[in-house]
Amino acid sequence: MNEMKNPYAYTEAEILNVVDETANIKTFTIRPKEAIVFRAGQFMDLTLPGIGEAPFTPSSNHNVKATLDFTIMSAGRVTKLLHQAKKGDTVGVRGPYGLGYPLDKFRSKEVFIVGGGVGLAPLRALLYALFNEADQYKKIILKYGARTPKDIVYKVEIDSWRAKAKHVETEITTDIGDESWNGNVGLVTTILKKESVDVNNAVAIVCGPPIMMKFVTFKLLDIGFKDSDIHLSMEKNMSCGIGKCGHCRIGPYYACKDGPVFTYDKIKDLPNIWD
Amino acid sequence: MPTNHYKITRKDLFDLFGRLSDAYKVFVPYAKGERLYFDKFDPAKEDLIELGGIKQSQPVKSFINPPREKILNGPKKDSKPLILAGVKGCDLSSFILQDFVFLQGDTEDPFYATNRKNAILIGTDCTYAKETCFCVAMEGAPYPQKYFDLNLSSITDYFIVEVATDKGKALIDNFRMFFKNANPQDIKLRDINRDRVTAQVRDFIARRGTKDTVQIKGAVEKNYNLTALWQDFASTCVECGACNLVCPTCHCFLLFDEKSKEDFKNRYRIWDACLYKTFAKVAGGANPRKHLYERLRNRFEKKFDFFPKVLNYFACTGCGRCIEACPGDIDLREVLKGLVDGKWNKPPNE
Repeated sequence: MNEMKNPYAYTEAEILNVVDETANIKTFTIRPKEAIVFRAGQFMDLTLPGIGEAPFTPSSNHNVKATLDFTIMSAGRVTKLLHQAKKGDTVGVRGPYGLGYPLDKFRSKEVFIVGGGVGLAPLRALLYALFNEADQYKKIILKYGARTPKDIVYKVEIDSWRAKAKHVETEITTDIGDESWNGNVGLVTTILKKESVDVNNAVAIVCGPPIMMKFVTFKLLDIGFKDSDIHLSMEKNMSCGIGKCGHCRIGPYYACKDGPVFTYDKIKDLPNIWD
Repeated sequence: MPTNHYKITRKDLFDLFGRLSDAYKVFVPYAKGERLYFDKFDPAKEDLIELGGIKQSQPVKSFINPPREKILNGPKKDSKPLILAGVKGCDLSSFILQDFVFLQGDTEDPFYATNRKNAILIGTDCTYAKETCFCVAMEGAPYPQKYFDLNLSSITDYFIVEVATDKGKALIDNFRMFFKNANPQDIKLRDINRDRVTAQVRDFIARRGTKDTVQIKGAVEKNYNLTALWQDFASTCVECGACNLVCPTCHCFLLFDEKSKEDFKNRYRIWDACLYKTFAKVAGGANPRKHLYERLRNRFEKKFDFFPKVLNYFACTGCGRCIEACPGDIDLREVLKGLVDGKWNKPPNE
């Protein structure tokens, strides 16, 4: 058997750095033995050899080839153990899978990005991809919501993103404030305003927990976005990554190969998309 | 007379299986009570070998896409190529789907591909039908039509052998002394049996009013949102997954990693079942199919809506295994009837 052709095999990767983002979210920078080329929005499977694997979308710039960042919340069996991994440890990585963000459809438009919680991870890769060619986009707008100020990821970086270009705007809100927080308080839907975007020449990109995705989508429709201009990350139980294992099916699609990003028009009539 | 038809006596066939057993794993069906099971060819148990009858309890996928396949690391048992004899039409026809999933698309599954390429599949005609058989309603037949290398049609104490592939032809050529040319009279006897068993299946279909693919088209979509109907179908389901595991067209699997005693970090591809509650659940807790009726509906959606849309194929061969395996007496034919008629007709025995 030619191991290179084994789609279930992973490349070993060294953990170069671990950053604590919040109490339960860490960003791992890894260096695969063989560089993996990807497009923002595509995902990969990270393996703890002999233990298990789980799918994640890299959060790093796809122009950086040698290393990959993954921002991971401790949520299940594999991620709990991943959180114990240290600098210098070895993990496995295979991919990339899925289609990634259709940047060609975003060019010359206002890119209206809405993130919730750890959902900012794939959007960070998207933002870097946009910054690589910032003059191609009319505006780059980020609206980010976290549960509390302590749950904001990429705290150090977010402020620097606004300095990437004149037409970059960022706004953050938290569901609940605290004494350290002077910013907006309220759900992310409260900072999605008609005045802040030209919906007739814009695309919206949303990633976050299912309940947030649902209400953000309804809000975006409410302020005038078309179904086909709303790009949603439908991160289902993607296991094999190659459209064979059956777990991530949504109607006629497999999230792993036909997504994981879908425009709302494609999935709005399918059952239980928000669960 | 087609030149790709031969005949062989039962005795010579078993002698041939014996000789092939050096280079191949030869599996044949054995009768055990009313059922047939595939097991390794054993000359001492020749009397129990049934190369006719009906489908075996194991679906053919068990041999090509086995329940547990090692796909990474630790050493694999070095094994001989497989000869699987006695495969029925309702199993062979499932290869349209299994091949689609594992061989087509952007990525081929190399383990499936190797198993598929190396196996010699010898079909056999059914010599009778069971009440749960409905292959004809699913555009199949009680005899192999495709995906076999050789086919055996039982005629008294000998078999008509049909050659369908180069792999099958090579086997005949290598052991030509065991085979005689078939004559038109032999083919006529074969066709009489085929017509008789087909009529038997048709009779079972007619008596129950089992729906066919023409009637089933669109039925899942039409009733998708009738929650009460699906809840009714699922009322006796115990989510054991038996219907998934015995189904020749079910293909879903999970990947399982473990450390072996020798510290190999192994990965396995293991059959999964969409009736299990955790099948679509994600680590964050979201589950698009929280309710049992949604998971049962998903099974029917996949077979009778998804695959017709993506492959133009109703993913059921009419083998009837799921009906026999279900401890809740859920009868796929009755569910399809309920969907086509838009109401749930409880079977008469309830």
